Order: sequence, then structure tokens, then C-alpha cells
Amino acid sequence: MIIRIATEGQYELTGQALAELDAADNAMLDAIQHADAQAFARHLANVLDIVRSRGRRLDDRELKESDLVLPPPDITLEEARDLFAGYPRDLAP
Amino acid sequence: MGVFSRMTTILKAKMNKLAERLEDPRETLEYSYQRQLELMQKVRRNLAEVVTSKKRLELQVVQLKQTLSRLEEQAKQALKAGREDLAVAALNRKAEIQQQIEGIEAQARGLEEEQKKLEVAESRLRAKVEAFRAHKEVVKAQYSAAEAQVRIGEAATGLSEELADVGMAIERAQQKTENMKARAAAIDELVASGVLEDRVNFGAPSSPVEQELAKLKASEQVKADLARLKQEVGQA
Repeated sequence: MIIRIATEGQYELTGQALAELDAADNAMLDAIQHADAQAFARHLANVLDIVRSRGRRLDDRELKESDLVLPPPDITLEEARDLFAGYPRDLAP
Repeated sequence: MGVFSRMTTILKAKMNKLAERLEDPRETLEYSYQRQLELMQKVRRNLAEVVTSKKRLELQVVQLKQTLSRLEEQAKQALKAGREDLAVAALNRKAEIQQQIEGIEAQARGLEEEQKKLEVAESRLRAKVEAFRAHKEVVKAQYSAAEAQVRIGEAATGLSEELADVGMAIERAQQKTENMKARAAAIDELVASGVLEDRVNFGAPSSPVEQELAKLKASEQVKADLARLKQEVGQA
């Protein structure tokens, strides 16, 4: 699976790492729902760490569409809430 | 993966909007390529802006350090004249400015980080544009084959996603730079109008505890400076 960390680049992740990512994602979703900024930052860092350490970094010359796009590493809880709750605000024709 | 898949959807919808504008695949390719070049110019402009802002902050630090030397000299003169009260006032201002310098230096380091991120984004984009340019020429040459159209779609989608991503990186760097520029302008004004002795929030700690700690640190600094200057002017 091709995963992009927004503002950073793409990685390829397979196997067990994907299951770990899925669990970490759910924990992060819970933190967003509970508006827990500290937990959000912790889980986001964990999610990014899984992708960076277990994934293979794609060459900058490869032109591939991502299956998943993760938020930028410096995103705040407020920005994350706004980004996801605002969908599809900026897509009107 | 609720959040992630939604974010993917947002990017995909933006990409589709881009692709729908033009029907001729050759035009789409050229349009995408032009967009890439424009974006690269934007990245370079932003990089230049970040570097300029960083230099401006560094210049402010130099100016404020000159003020520090002046205040030190004033405090020494006051002590020689037997006016410890004036010396303490000058040293208080000095400690305050020292803290402002620390704040500005932290911001300059922040801009340095933004600069590095933008440099990475620029290099990534340059590699993608080069790959796309080579691919575009091949696809255009093979356009008569139906197969080529599929490959155009794949290349354009991958590139559009990169466009959106690098665009986001630039936007975030720009926002941070704007904030820092606004603060730098505020300090410029304070330096120019000579009101630096008034308490300003720039670079100051935000929480009450931090403010108390900063005051404590400043007060200790003043005491240490006073003792040192007394020794220097032979009053110790």
C-alpha cells in the first residue's frame, strides 16, 4: 500500500505494519473525537513512526497515486478537526 | 481508516477537478507540466522570502545586542557617578532585552527549519517534474495508441497528488513565515521608537509560571551584572 505523509513524501507499507497502522489510526481517531490534544499528538507521532520506520521510502522520481494520505507531522488537533469536519467544503464547483 | 480515507478523498476530488478541465490528453499533459513549473517558481519565491525574514531577525538580534552594550556602559557610568539606582534601572532593561533576544533567536531557528523543509519540498518537486517531463514526451509520441491514454491518467494523477502535497507544504511554511514577519515588524517598530524599555510580549514567556521564572532569571542576572560592574569600577 502506498502511503503519503503530507508535506513529506511517499512510503510503501505491507503486511503486519498495515495492521499496526490501522490500530494506531483508530487510537488517533478516538483522540480527535475526545478533543484530547496530547493524546492526538502522541498517536499521530506513533502513526508517522510506523510509516517511516516500517515502510520503504519511494523515490522522488516515481509517479504513483497514494492509497492513503496522512496529515502533515506538525498538524494541530484543531487543524485536524477542521480538515476532516470541513469536508468537502473547498470542493464545490 | 476513517480519517485517512477521507483525506485521500479530498485530494482525489481536487485531482479530478484538475483533470476534468481538459479533455485532450496532450493538453492535459502540457497543462499539468505548466502547473508544475509555476509551483516550482512559487516554492523558490517562498524560499527566498523565508531566507529574507530569517536575515531580518538576525539583523534585529545584532541591533539589540548593540543596545545591550550601550546599557552596560550606561550602568557602569551610573555606578562611577554613585547612582546605583540608575545602574539597576539600566541593568533591568538589559535583562529584558536579553530575553527578547532569546525569543528572536528561537524564531530565527524556526525559520531555519522552515527553510530546510522548503528546500526538501523543492528538491522533491524538481525530481517529479523531471520524471513527468520525460514521461510526457513519450506519451505524446505514442498518443495514437489507446494504451497511452491510460498511462497519461496514471502519470497525471500521481503528479496532481504531488502538486497538492507540495502546495500544502508551501502554504504551511508561508503561514509560519507571515506570523514571524508580523512579529519582526513589531520589534522593528519598538527599536525605531525607542520604547523597548516598556514591557512587550514579544518573545516573552506566556504562562504566569513562566513569567515569574523569567522575572526571577532577569533579577538574578541584574544582581550578577551589578556585582560584576561594581568590581570593574572598583566599588566591590
